[in-house]
Amino acid sequence: MDRETRIAWLIDHAQRPRFRGSLPDADARVPGGNPGCGDIITLYLKANEGEDRVAAVTFEGVGCTLSQAAASILAERTNRLTPTFAEVLDFSYEEMLDLLGRDIASSRPQCATLALGTLKGAVKTVEMNRKLRAAGHTDEEIGELRRAVAAQAEGMGLVIGEGAELAALDL
Amino acid sequence: MPATVAPVADIEARGYAHPEVLVSTQWVADHLADPNVRIVESDEDVLLYETGHIPGAVKIDWVADLNDPLTRDYIDRLGFQRLLRSKGINDRTTIVFYGDKNNWWATYAFWVFRLFGVENLRLMDGGRLRWAEEGREIVTAAPRYAEGNITVKDRDDIRNRVFREQVLQHVKSGKRLVDVRSPEEYRGERLHMPEYPNEGALRGGHIPGARSIPWGRAITPETHTFRPASELRTIYQEENGLKPNDDVIVYCRIGERSSHTWFALTYLLGFSSVRNYDGSWTEWGNLVKAPVEKP
Repeated sequence: MDRETRIAWLIDHAQRPRFRGSLPDADARVPGGNPGCGDIITLYLKANEGEDRVAAVTFEGVGCTLSQAAASILAERTNRLTPTFAEVLDFSYEEMLDLLGRDIASSRPQCATLALGTLKGAVKTVEMNRKLRAAGHTDEEIGELRRAVAAQAEGMGLVIGEGAELAALDL
Repeated sequence: MPATVAPVADIEARGYAHPEVLVSTQWVADHLADPNVRIVESDEDVLLYETGHIPGAVKIDWVADLNDPLTRDYIDRLGFQRLLRSKGINDRTTIVFYGDKNNWWATYAFWVFRLFGVENLRLMDGGRLRWAEEGREIVTAAPRYAEGNITVKDRDDIRNRVFREQVLQHVKSGKRLVDVRSPEEYRGERLHMPEYPNEGALRGGHIPGARSIPWGRAITPETHTFRPASELRTIYQEENGLKPNDDVIVYCRIGERSSHTWFALTYLLGFSSVRNYDGSWTEWGNLVKAPVEKP
């Protein structure tokens, strides 16, 4: 794909995003934000029952052309391949830059990889929730644990989960 | 025909020290065919120009065009001269910057151009958003210009730019610093996002003695244009005690938001010595033994 075609492809994904919207029966809803320029992606992930494999993903988001195009392209790829959790976690940020085209994406690596980072976060959330359930925790207890971790992280100057949206918005 | 948007006072009536550096969207519209004017779009969004831009505008990207690809610095004189000539810029060209994010990167490009001593620089007040909200023409065709002949000077990193050792001396001397980041960043409550550490820092807080004056206070939200001088004086001078003859250093995370404040203080209020610390918090917040203040 030459540069001009690649730019047209990216802009098309940004303007006509695929798999955009919420996923009502998602196993994880994970927001991610880029405070550098205000991009926000919320990733919804549905996993196959009893299997460490993605069944479907959708996303919502606002932000720059590249961040939203990358989310759409990644969602399309993920829904087509339905990768295992390990395959999602193994898909590197470098490979994401290659997928989008380094001539454009390498000048804005954070925008280009926001969706991938958020997808990895969603996979880790589902994995951990399954482990916690297997250890006997209820969904309510898991929710409390996650809120406690988020509060602890906030005290350390980090922004995780729900706070990501606000962090990216308030420039 | 422009759409109805919130009206804004004429630039000449706003009391700025150097009103000539700011031009209105109407001025730009009136000069689209002027061969002595080159319009430059500089954005945060790397593909925004390609989605549509002001007719005749060229794109200059802060990463791909202005940054040295290896060292954290700007390109050298010859590289910069090549860049400007490739955009059809001549010695007598008037260069008008505009962009997204209320002109963050437009003022950043303006600042980098000043480091190389380029004259005849202007900023389009209200930026890309104002142009779009007025319903003015946007095109996707990239223009082609004959090679320009501008000659640029060696970069001057003294007058408008400052480095960490100078910042440290500035702190020790008790001189004025302005932190233009969000209050959360100033207070050290936000460092970076998980998995996105490139613009982050190991320590949160601010440079000791810095006043928190977020960049956006210089803008009227309804019009996206700069506030009149009287309101800017209230913010910077009356509320925060800055004086036009103070030696002032401004900083943010990587130097783009602080370019915006550098522009406002230097050209709109006529401060005599404002320098931008482009190392900003990504350098200071990672620097071993650098003093940090955290309320």
